[in-house]
Amino acid sequence: MSASNDSNDLEALFDSIAADYAPAVPEPVAVVAPPPAKAAPANGDDDELQALFDSVSAEAQVAQADVSGDPAGEAWPKQEAVFNRLGHMARALHDTLGQLGYDKVLEKSVAALPDAKDRLAYVANLTEQAACRVLNATDIASPLVDQIESGSRALGERWDKVFANQMGPDEFKQLAAETRSFLKEQLPQKTEATHAQLTEIMMAQDFQDLTGQVIKKIVSLAQELETGLMGLLIEVVPETKRTHEVDSLMNGPVVNAEGRTDVVVNQEQVDDLLDSLGF
Amino acid sequence: MAADPKMRFLVVDDFSTMRRIVRNLLKELGFTNVDEAEDGAIALQKLQGGGFEFVVTDWNMPNMDGLTLLQTIRATPNLKHLPVLMITAEAKKENIIAAAQAGASGYIVKPFTAGTLSEKLNKIFEKMGQG
Repeated sequence: MSASNDSNDLEALFDSIAADYAPAVPEPVAVVAPPPAKAAPANGDDDELQALFDSVSAEAQVAQADVSGDPAGEAWPKQEAVFNRLGHMARALHDTLGQLGYDKVLEKSVAALPDAKDRLAYVANLTEQAACRVLNATDIASPLVDQIESGSRALGERWDKVFANQMGPDEFKQLAAETRSFLKEQLPQKTEATHAQLTEIMMAQDFQDLTGQVIKKIVSLAQELETGLMGLLIEVVPETKRTHEVDSLMNGPVVNAEGRTDVVVNQEQVDDLLDSLGF
Repeated sequence: MAADPKMRFLVVDDFSTMRRIVRNLLKELGFTNVDEAEDGAIALQKLQGGGFEFVVTDWNMPNMDGLTLLQTIRATPNLKHLPVLMITAEAKKENIIAAAQAGASGYIVKPFTAGTLSEKLNKIFEKMGQG
């Protein structure tokens, strides 16, 4: 077990913290009591867990004794009390992790995080490349379409003169030749070039397949991590300490607006809101 | 629509792709005099240099965000008259209200269309004409 090496160090650390400071408030004792199912496990972890449990419960008793025997505890600087409490929470967290088997889940997820970072960088990279390719293609295609439009408009106006009997035979001959060259050469050339850019735009979408796969992997990693952490937090954080989400004005796009009333989902709602406020 | 096609725009967004898209859309609407800045701090520097008549800005940017940029513009005597249109992914109601209270001339949520941009610009031009 690789975790046991860590746990010796951590134990030493926590023991030293516990020895230096007693908590200003009583420990949430519930968190250090192992689940009943683990009380008599029929595996090799038995001794280790038992030792851990003994040390934790002994510590909890000492902590409580200190609190009851030392009313001056409240006079300590607040920071010390916070650090002290953090130390105990971390200890409880560590123990609970081991007891509930979350350490394995989290270990796996944490090991996968650097990989996830690389994958996300890859997604950012591919999508940026695709955006650039598409914008480049439209930059090339737009003038071509403009030229087709202005060329045909100019020819059309000259043909209007033909139909209005305002054109001499020489000029007409020249118009016919130019029109022929426009239809046979310039136009197909430009539409072909435009078509090539349309193909380029289409091909630039190939990132979706690749990023989709990568993102799916990261989503499942995030879910694992979330499940592990949530379970753990629910175990160790007292109900009263569970804070509400942080209020911020920089949240980025709303990924899922379902069931939310604090966000708008389209421009119409933005306009309605502003209208209703008189802006 | 009587907006001057020579009107000088400053497009502020930390993503070059978005700046390019807004620049292209403005070009299609006939506005070719467009400069870019990649965050609020750079935008403010450029604005102090003078010559700009319209600001289109994102919200969430490093160094200085769009709301701070807007507030700074409104608090600066030689800039406070500038129309500021926000184009942002921030879609919480409190965002929209905060922007309006800070004096935003318009608010567009991403993703947006060319039609929306055109409509909001025209609305702002109309108000400018009245003022």
